[in-house]
Amino acid sequence: MATDPHHDHDHGIDGPGYATPQAAIEQSDREKVAYVIGLYVGTGVDAPDFIAVVDLDPDSATYQEIIERVPMPNRGDELHHFGWNACSSSCHMEGLERRHLVIPGNRSGRIHVVDTKNRRDPELETVIEPEAVQEHDLSGPHTIHCIPDGKILISMLGNADGELPGGFLELNDDFEIEGRWEPPGEIEFNYDFWYQPRHNVMVSSEWAAPKTYQPGFDMEDVEAGNYGRRLHFWDWEEKTVDRTIDLGEEGLVPLETRFLHSPEAVHGYVNAALSSNIFHFWKENGEYRIERVIDFESREHEGWDMPVPALPTDILVSMDDRYLFGGNWLHGEVWMYDISDPATPRQADSISIGGYFGEIREVQGRELVAGPQMLQLSLDGERLYWTTSLYSTWDDQFFPGEAEKGSVMLKADVNPRKGTMDLDEEFLVNFGDLPEGPARAHEIRWPDGDCSSDVWQ
Amino acid sequence: MGANGDDDRAVDACPPVHDLTLTWRDGREESVRASEDETVLDAAEQADVSLPFGCLTGACTTCTGRTLDGRVEHGRPPRALKPHYLNDGYALLCVAEPRSNCRIEVGADVQTDLVSNPWK
Repeated sequence: MATDPHHDHDHGIDGPGYATPQAAIEQSDREKVAYVIGLYVGTGVDAPDFIAVVDLDPDSATYQEIIERVPMPNRGDELHHFGWNACSSSCHMEGLERRHLVIPGNRSGRIHVVDTKNRRDPELETVIEPEAVQEHDLSGPHTIHCIPDGKILISMLGNADGELPGGFLELNDDFEIEGRWEPPGEIEFNYDFWYQPRHNVMVSSEWAAPKTYQPGFDMEDVEAGNYGRRLHFWDWEEKTVDRTIDLGEEGLVPLETRFLHSPEAVHGYVNAALSSNIFHFWKENGEYRIERVIDFESREHEGWDMPVPALPTDILVSMDDRYLFGGNWLHGEVWMYDISDPATPRQADSISIGGYFGEIREVQGRELVAGPQMLQLSLDGERLYWTTSLYSTWDDQFFPGEAEKGSVMLKADVNPRKGTMDLDEEFLVNFGDLPEGPARAHEIRWPDGDCSSDVWQ
Repeated sequence: MGANGDDDRAVDACPPVHDLTLTWRDGREESVRASEDETVLDAAEQADVSLPFGCLTGACTTCTGRTLDGRVEHGRPPRALKPHYLNDGYALLCVAEPRSNCRIEVGADVQTDLVSNPWK
């Protein structure tokens, strides 16, 4: 099976990824497999977390089946987000390949490297043990982005004791720890980040200290100020925070930071999950600004004491920068907004599915026991996939059925010209019927890059 | 001091050992022995009894158990456990060491006692 196809970059250099976002749309093949995080942590199933290889080739006899699993060497990791060793930000690096997945355990702090040379049968290559990470007074690895020149940057949510402050850990291209990326003291809370090198900026968001979010969600911690509500805009080259913006009471727990893909763009979005809002951020007169652009109203639910918040826990921007997609995990809704005018998102379509209010309650006879959570979009913008687990302890609070029945991976067909999407009722990947027992499923990635991995210089 | 100083030191260095009864909510029960300088989780692993765990530093509560009888002490601060849960006998077994014979409730579902749906 071929590795990264080294697409024609139109500049005579054979590096990973694509020359531009539009080249990614034009030159990529349809995704044939997906790598999906599978978890057993925090369930009664006595098995390690794993990477699932899901067959997405409609012509294959094993279409929409988990055709391979790469188990981690230890139990208890809570695999969560993961990323590539290289993406389009290194497309000038001759000889570098998009081939290795860097997969941290958010609870354990252990960092795994999986070689996908054989796309349908990847292999564990290297493990960085938690003790080596803790030497840098960091824990709770979360987002992985490759950065130019083959290096890898990881957001870390806590110190070695699982308390604040977090920071960033840098790996070299041999998957060895280089050290702490930023000078100490720049931030307290950390979560996701995205960089836009042409504008010398990185944006990072805030969840909470591992000791706060890992046990589960406790409203007392919100009241005590133990959850974040700020965005940090960094000087990418200096590795220091230029500007911090407090999103206020309407911006609680800002999670996924998504710049538009165009390297020229100075616009992006972040989802304030707890207050159920989407914020637009942009650069104006040399300074980053933010504005709340989408509100999801809480809904009354019979038998509940309080209105149920939507909890938009993931967002992504299509490769053509025309649509913002997201999922409201508690309400049970997948949505797409037209962002052709970035300051004024316009709802294009949505699917009401799963969660507490979704109209569609089962797919292929499989009951949906949670709402849409992690999303991934095909590079051509025509197929949206999602899974249903947020985080093991949070699942147990809000959708305990995830532990009992396992997650599902679902798909919608998107028409990016018409701004519509339709559930593919024939598509279901059931993580509930694996031999060891039901598993949760979280982030999704394609072998040739995707809408939440690639950055352009 | 005995005739053989090395032996005495060895005896002095040997911490007391306690009997732990581990009990799951589905009725399963296992007995393991643990010395005062090892964690309940390590003692269980030594006896091939598998318990849930995550961070191994007292920060994540994946390993939460509840002491029904006996006493444990945390060798490292159980940072993720709020004081009222400590008072109710909950313990983080990755950093908890026995100080007496103990009966401890274990299994992944003990952790779910710590949080509930705040809106329901």
